[in-house]
Amino acid sequence: MTAITSKVCVVGDFAVGKTSVVERYVNNHFSEKYLTTVGVKVDTKEVDLADRGVQNKLIIWDVAGTDRFGDTEFAYLRGAAGHIFVADGTRPLTVGTALQLHKDIEARYGLAASVLLLNKHDLGGAWDVSEQRINDLRTEFGAVFLTSARTGAEVENALACLANLIVDNELAARQ
Amino acid sequence: MSMPTAVIEHLQGDFVAETRPFCFLVARDYTLVDAWGDGGWTNLDNLEVGEDMLDRAPYLLGALAEEPQRLNYISTGSGVVVHLLTIPHGDGHYCVVLDAGQAHDQLRDKQQSANELRLLHASQQKLIARQRDLITELVEAKAELDHHRRDIERGSAGKSRFIAMMSHEFRTPLASIINYADLALEPDSNPAHIKKSIEAIARSSRHLTSLVEAVLDEARLDAGQIQLRERNFDLYVLLDDLAAMMAPLAAEKGLAFATLVDTDVPQSIRADDVCMRQILTNLLGNAVKYTEEGSIRLYVSCHGGNLVATVSDTGPGISIEDQERVFRAFERGESHDESRSGAGLGLTITLHLAQLMNGEISLDSLPGQGCTVSVHVPVSAAEDAEEAQDVLPTPAEDTYATKPTSVLVCDDDEDMLALVEHYLHRAGYGLITASNGTEAIEKTLSYEPDIVLMDVNVPGTNGVDATNSLRERGYNGPIVAMTASELSDDEKRTFTRYFRKPAPMQQLLLEIKNLTH
Repeated sequence: MTAITSKVCVVGDFAVGKTSVVERYVNNHFSEKYLTTVGVKVDTKEVDLADRGVQNKLIIWDVAGTDRFGDTEFAYLRGAAGHIFVADGTRPLTVGTALQLHKDIEARYGLAASVLLLNKHDLGGAWDVSEQRINDLRTEFGAVFLTSARTGAEVENALACLANLIVDNELAARQ
Repeated sequence: MSMPTAVIEHLQGDFVAETRPFCFLVARDYTLVDAWGDGGWTNLDNLEVGEDMLDRAPYLLGALAEEPQRLNYISTGSGVVVHLLTIPHGDGHYCVVLDAGQAHDQLRDKQQSANELRLLHASQQKLIARQRDLITELVEAKAELDHHRRDIERGSAGKSRFIAMMSHEFRTPLASIINYADLALEPDSNPAHIKKSIEAIARSSRHLTSLVEAVLDEARLDAGQIQLRERNFDLYVLLDDLAAMMAPLAAEKGLAFATLVDTDVPQSIRADDVCMRQILTNLLGNAVKYTEEGSIRLYVSCHGGNLVATVSDTGPGISIEDQERVFRAFERGESHDESRSGAGLGLTITLHLAQLMNGEISLDSLPGQGCTVSVHVPVSAAEDAEEAQDVLPTPAEDTYATKPTSVLVCDDDEDMLALVEHYLHRAGYGLITASNGTEAIEKTLSYEPDIVLMDVNVPGTNGVDATNSLRERGYNGPIVAMTASELSDDEKRTFTRYFRKPAPMQQLLLEIKNLTH
């Protein structure tokens, strides 16, 4: 079994549910209370990719919400093997923010494994991202997940997808 | 100038007391080389040289750069928040961990308020946008409702126009029927007068029937157009009919009436005779209506493939200003006498009918000098005129019964029963009558007539049910439907034959003979 330790950064606009997604993934817990993240919150989670013979320890950096990065935020992202971009499906502007952050990170650090989470999918009535837009995002971004930190829907799948993408890159780099 | 040493030492003391710095040196592979200070407050105690520091401080991953780094406010997962400083040194890095818990909490409280305010603002913006959408939807819904309302108003106006048209178009032949009926009923009427009156009534009735057909056609067409039905017909007969209809009306007002036909006008032509009749009836009817003294003249000629019918009168005439208006619906000339009946549709309909026939109308008039209206319609000469149908013909000899034949007639209209009885008796048929479906069933089963003529809309058991009942109870003779209503295909198949009222009697008698002989 190969052991990998990967730094993963969770980024996106404020109040899109980044901390809730991580909390759901790491501790399988959800809180209705909105608590602003200042700086960065670091958690770890081990992902057993048994079918690939890889144990991937994810060190997850939950970065404070922002619509643009300064030097402080870019410093947090140094050495990341993957990124989780989170947007709020009830606030379409946050989707644009996620895409812009993705471009900025790529310009600064180059390509890395990435997934896009359109979160709060449980809020059906307030959901404001059309099917057409989602299809366009899938074409543009690749791995797009309609998640709910509240119910846990698709959170595990999104992180498993990212872990696999990181392993793909890692194994490719070793060869 | 540098700060006094005592001040610097004091500030350093405060900084150390507040941030509780803990320093350690790690190699490039994150193993511990050495450590200084107390790291217990951040769970970095009991460290051993060579220990993998990523297990104790996972936030080190990616934090070691070629130049000094400072990462602020790292929540380490156990409620501890630190600032991390990394300083390259030889093959490793000094890592300094500072306690940032107090500053973090203060900053978070401020950030929390700011973010909640931004969320509230975003929510308000969304509500405003939704409100704007709702207003737009409301405006669109109102516009759609207005559109529907205008449609309904147009429909209502159309209905009013239809009723007005009925009033105008039906009045002239109805007047002819009423006047001739009165004439025939006068005590001193001789048989010749009565015959002439009945012939006139028959002609007007036929015209009325044609009008009804035209209206029904119109109702069936979305665009409100009348379909042209061209056929070969005898123009002279049509002109004679018109003269016979109009001359008495003119005579009643003391007006002279004349019809002149050029010698090169063919007797048989191909055109829509119903339209032609309606156009000329309208023009002549108007001329009679508006002319108080003098004469009415109908002159028919041919020019360049067009039939030209010109109606001239010695009436009050129409001013130049009014000449355009009189062709518009519901409008008459300024000098219109309100005592005259009609809806002001005559010339409008006439114009539309002429246009339908690819023709045109011209008007020449001046106040006090009478009026001349010319209709130009393209027609072609026909070999033979198709035989016109008589409404009340004498039974032809080939319709006479040549063997004893009984007919049961079921109709709730006494006049219709009397009419059919008249024709059937004269054609030599035995007659049994019934006024409703139940009676028709009973009498058919009792007397077993050779044929049944069944009105569909009769009281009690209707004609369709009565026919089905007769079939179930063994009656095998022909059953012919006569109805003014539309029948479905299934209903039509119930009967041996199907006739729409008013059924041409000649054709009906012929069918009865075919089915029974």
